[in-house]
Amino acid sequence: MAKILDKQRYKCALGAMQTVQAIERALPILHSGPGCAQKLSDTNGSSGYFSPNIFPCTSINEKDVVFGGVKKLDSTIENALKVVDADLYVVLTGCIPEIVGDDTGEVVSRYADNDKPVVYAPTAGFKGNNYKGHEQVVNAIIDQYLEPSDKKQKGLVNIWADVPYQDLFWLGNIRELENLVREIGLTPNTIFGYKRGIDNINKIPEAEFNLLVSPWVGLSTVKKLEKKFGTPYLHLKTLPVGATETSKFLREVGKFAGVDEFTVERVIKEHEDYYYYLIERYADLFLENRVINKQFTVVADAQYTLGITKFLVNDLGLVPAKQFIVDDTPANQREAIAEEFKKLNYGIEAEVSFETDGFKIHDEIRNHDYHGYPLVLGGYYEKDVTEELKGNFLNISWPVQDKVVFDRAYAGYTGGIRLIEDIYTVAVQRFN
Amino acid sequence: MAYKIAVASSDGVNIDVKFGAIDSFLVYEIDDDEINFLEKRLIALDEENVTKTSANVNSKSDCNSSCNTNSCGGGAKGCGGPSGVTSRVELIGDCRSVVCAKVGFQAQKQFEKKAISVFDIECPIDFALKKISSYYKAIDGKQKWQANL
Repeated sequence: MAKILDKQRYKCALGAMQTVQAIERALPILHSGPGCAQKLSDTNGSSGYFSPNIFPCTSINEKDVVFGGVKKLDSTIENALKVVDADLYVVLTGCIPEIVGDDTGEVVSRYADNDKPVVYAPTAGFKGNNYKGHEQVVNAIIDQYLEPSDKKQKGLVNIWADVPYQDLFWLGNIRELENLVREIGLTPNTIFGYKRGIDNINKIPEAEFNLLVSPWVGLSTVKKLEKKFGTPYLHLKTLPVGATETSKFLREVGKFAGVDEFTVERVIKEHEDYYYYLIERYADLFLENRVINKQFTVVADAQYTLGITKFLVNDLGLVPAKQFIVDDTPANQREAIAEEFKKLNYGIEAEVSFETDGFKIHDEIRNHDYHGYPLVLGGYYEKDVTEELKGNFLNISWPVQDKVVFDRAYAGYTGGIRLIEDIYTVAVQRFN
Repeated sequence: MAYKIAVASSDGVNIDVKFGAIDSFLVYEIDDDEINFLEKRLIALDEENVTKTSANVNSKSDCNSSCNTNSCGGGAKGCGGPSGVTSRVELIGDCRSVVCAKVGFQAQKQFEKKAISVFDIECPIDFALKKISSYYKAIDGKQKWQANL
């Protein structure tokens, strides 16, 4: 029987149009009903040279359902190529054409000889959410555009992290990961954000290895790259937030890339010294246990729930209540991710639930004994329930309604400090 | 349940007339898998109405005939202006959908209000009716949708 999902935390696969948008000068062409792009866009930094309001769209209607929308798609692509100047065109299909059975792949193949690449990703909503759609888009570019390269660039690392725009801090996070990798002497290559784009996409096959920093999103991508270009990959499930995980991150990347230990340790020491200098200055605040909550809950996608839980336990010494992963993680990945929640310092283990139903999550939060007021880091949906429990709330995952983020990051040493600032900014307000 | 579909055709074989240039509709009745031609409905040209909607018509004596076949090309409006659209829409108000080569915004909106689907496509009548009836059958829950009929 059909179920109603309360407070869902993701969009349909077509939401991956935002993944395309995150690639500079790449344009999504939508084969979908009118209004899809409008509904899927958030006002979180999505205007600019291309924005969801101008994405070419076939705007298919009842007639195209009955007679097929292939002709309309062909003319939409043809005209988009004429009037919109982009480096890469990505045709995305919505639910309707996929149900009707339009052969989008065939239409797109007519543009194989076009001087700018046109690729196609099936992103019908019934095929999954925008985390899956993100993978589809990146995989489509690899499959349909990239060619194996004889040239391998020593020290070049492709970095893959979580989903642009869905993750509010995507830009800051990926830059921070780049910086960390650069500091230990490697050359990072990413495709999202300012001045990356098609040039960096072209460099993907030349990389020495792929670095995936995500619990599960992008795993199919790095596997695909290994198969197609023979590039090995390093999969680190935890987004490094704060000193403990970031140092671990640097050591693992350094070891995998064959960077000498001395260099890695030097970088770590430099960062940790400053990090703990900051922590030390605020130690009195941290030790004043009236300020912060005894237990916390994170309600976010796998990336943040895992990354932040580790940070709050390992770096801040808080006690985890139940944690929730709300991104509809594929069933075959869940066990490995849940395992990560058992690898916390001081022998602490966190219980984690893969749950997409907001109603059930809120019920559990209400019924849990937090030994005081809870600290809840989650989507905007958790604001009310946290206020009800007189707890402290920080909006860190989609949907985000109460903050504007340009390029801040929670990743890395600096990211950890930013997160502490944000949490304590909320916490100290209670006493002032 | 049986329903009707109105078709705009000049030769009774192909759908080739724009909505504004229609002088008659061919109405078909669809009952399950049976498609039967029912009747031809002529558009009664209200002379008085045409002269009212456009003052220029009378000054050009030969305009009347050409405007009636030339869609919206003439100042006199081939469709007879908004009231012309209304009378056409009303003429086939009992149909579930209408199929013609092209349709304007004005007419489309009026059909939408009456929950009549408009398909603007140029193809043989047989082909269109088969596609549409199969589609209706699917959305009425009588058969699985077959995309490549």
